[in-house]
Amino acid sequence: MIKFEHVSKTYPNGVKGLQDINLEIQDGEFIGIIGMSGAGKSTFIRTINRLNDITEGQLTVDGVEISGLKGKSLRQYRRKVGMIFQSYNLVPRISVIKNVLSSLVPDMPFIRVMFGLFSKEDKIKALEALDRVSMLDKAFVRTDQLSGGQQQRVSLARTLAQNPSVLLADEPVAALDPVTAHEVMDDFRRINEELGQTVLINIHHVDLALEYSKRIIGIRSGKIVYDGPVAGITKDMLDLIYSKDGADK
Amino acid sequence: MNKKLEAVLSKEPSRRVQYSITGAILLILLVASSPALGGANMTSKGFEIGWNILTGIFTPDTSLLFGLGDSGVAYLILQTIAIAFLGTLVGAVIAVPLSFISATNIVPRPVVLVTRFIIMAIRTVPSLVYGLMFIRVTGPGPFAGVMTLAIVSIGMISKLFIETIEDLDTGILESLDAFGSTLFQKIRYGILPQLGSDFISILVYRFDMNLREATILGLVGAGGIGAPMIFALSAYHWHQVGAILIGLFLLVFIVEILSDKLRQKILHG
Amino acid sequence: MKLYDKLFDAEQFTLTNGKTVSQKFTRTPLIILFLLIGIAVSVWVTGFSLTMLVTNIAGFWHIFGSMFPPKLSYFLQVWRPLLMTIQMSFFGSFFGSLLALPFAVLAASNITNNRGINLVVRFILTVVRTIPTLVSALIATYIFGLGTFAGTVAIFLFSFSFVGKQLFEYIETVDMGAYEALTATGANAPRAFVTTVFPQILPTYLSTALFAFEGNVRYAAILGYVGAGGIGMILNEKIGWREFQSVGMILLSIFVAVVIIETVSQQLRKHLS
Repeated sequence: MIKFEHVSKTYPNGVKGLQDINLEIQDGEFIGIIGMSGAGKSTFIRTINRLNDITEGQLTVDGVEISGLKGKSLRQYRRKVGMIFQSYNLVPRISVIKNVLSSLVPDMPFIRVMFGLFSKEDKIKALEALDRVSMLDKAFVRTDQLSGGQQQRVSLARTLAQNPSVLLADEPVAALDPVTAHEVMDDFRRINEELGQTVLINIHHVDLALEYSKRIIGIRSGKIVYDGPVAGITKDMLDLIYSKDGADK
Repeated sequence: MNKKLEAVLSKEPSRRVQYSITGAILLILLVASSPALGGANMTSKGFEIGWNILTGIFTPDTSLLFGLGDSGVAYLILQTIAIAFLGTLVGAVIAVPLSFISATNIVPRPVVLVTRFIIMAIRTVPSLVYGLMFIRVTGPGPFAGVMTLAIVSIGMISKLFIETIEDLDTGILESLDAFGSTLFQKIRYGILPQLGSDFISILVYRFDMNLREATILGLVGAGGIGAPMIFALSAYHWHQVGAILIGLFLLVFIVEILSDKLRQKILHG
Repeated sequence: MKLYDKLFDAEQFTLTNGKTVSQKFTRTPLIILFLLIGIAVSVWVTGFSLTMLVTNIAGFWHIFGSMFPPKLSYFLQVWRPLLMTIQMSFFGSFFGSLLALPFAVLAASNITNNRGINLVVRFILTVVRTIPTLVSALIATYIFGLGTFAGTVAIFLFSFSFVGKQLFEYIETVDMGAYEALTATGANAPRAFVTTVFPQILPTYLSTALFAFEGNVRYAAILGYVGAGGIGMILNEKIGWREFQSVGMILLSIFVAVVIIETVSQQLRKHLS
């Protein structure tokens, strides 16, 4: 369970990324986060695995206050929280399986890390993750030979290989065409249903968010303006989330 | 008339002024450079030598061309390749740390200015000068050639390495961060694989250039195929000159084709 | 490679859901083996010795150190040969680039529709490009006598082959629509080339020629070593006489000249593209 209590984030330059966020996320939820670009969607999602630090309030995951995590404990915490980015962040000129295996590196002994000696179990783990996103046949292909959608799936497989309990995705389909975007979203849905992992996805594309999520969080100017089921999203509510003249500006 | 045609034609007048100015400047510079023609002393003897070299190429000294001993073309080619190969490697060993401390995304600007100035200065000294300096260190021979090429390579290798380093995709490092990697793991799995293939491709390219460079090192006594060519030339042994020129041509030509192929493979899979 | 894959079995992976995939045996050991053999042979052939390098490197630094401070007054003797080097480079680059144009046109298969001519011209360009500039300078001194002219010829040959190759490769990528339209209206090929293709290739042509010129200035500094004129003559002489402070001054002058020319040329090239 992820719990935000009065969480705020102010950037060093004074910009308020998040203001007084209060909410709870249960295990296994599929949440779409919508809002204009710059509204704080990325900041929100990135605070959960501490790529951004919060400046006020309490953020607890499974009862642990994560602001206090440092060094090794932070890295161990991050093993449980997988993150996927808009730019697939794969090394282009190495094979797909090597990219996937890199997420297993933090659990390996130093000598194996140093020389890149992956055990057979690790390789099977990586291949199974690739199989989950239907990319098994591309395992030994060079990553730069894949299309954007395929690369995002590899990126998803890389995160799956570390077997996280929470999946964070920051605009994972923004760079993809509509058909491919649906395919990747289908993967997220299947993973959520089959493996029961909590999924939080930032999507600026409302249709996709409404189609796939079970719960929607609407963010505007760093504040939560909607938090509830998909059914509750009305046209007025969308207008409020996407209105330009923020009353608090 | 065709639209494309009109478009091209309509561009013409606007450039005419530009062309004439460029032309005038070129003409002035050309006249100013005419002393470059000085020293031409073309006698019938020159003609004869030219002809001799040409016939030498078509009637090469076959015992030299196909000879397998220490003075045969095959061995000279092997030595030239060895000089270029080791020179590139040693150059790379020096260039890698130099490149990292010259990349704007690794070290602060003032440091970059200093290191880049050093690289530029290293690059300016002609290879033969380094050759003459290294002969004092290692004595004449191919070893001096290796060191010369190593130093000469630093400039270009670092320049291209720096570009690669500055193009590093930091998103990959962020991803590695996000799944809990240590700094060492980020370098090993985030930075090295990104740089690896580019670095190797740069080295292959530089090896190709070094090979050409290695063919002339013999002039200062730093080994390779150049030295016997000078001897043959100054002794007027035209058939030997021909044999060496053929060997040199084949060497450079084949290595160029192979290195192009290899680089294609490395960069585009 | 096929033999290699036969010798070393591919690794089989079976997933929990029963699917299997196989990975070819890694090539890394093979590559490392080749590299090690290459290094071993090279070390043996060249007599490379790290210990000799470490013990004697002081000699290198000694020469380097004795170049400082450069003998500034020596510049009075430096500037003439330096200017001559630049003149040689300019003259050779100019005429080399000029001659490269018709050859590039003949080598480009989209303008010259004759495979035979294409191949012959390309072969000429390749042969000339393959001969190192210093070697052609050396041969030129035998034919034309010692002096700047031999150096100019060598630079000319290099620029010709370099610009020729770059240019014909570029010509093959230009948009041929206008050219075809004009020849279709009955204009002859040279005329059509000048009015349609030439304007497209001109910026690249000039830029390549400038690039060749930049490189030539740097390179021309050593041509004097074989007696082909320019600053290399005095450089060679001063190294021979161990007047290292004068050597330092020559190198400093070359450095400054190269930096100025490269800066100007790079600005021009930026402007062209």
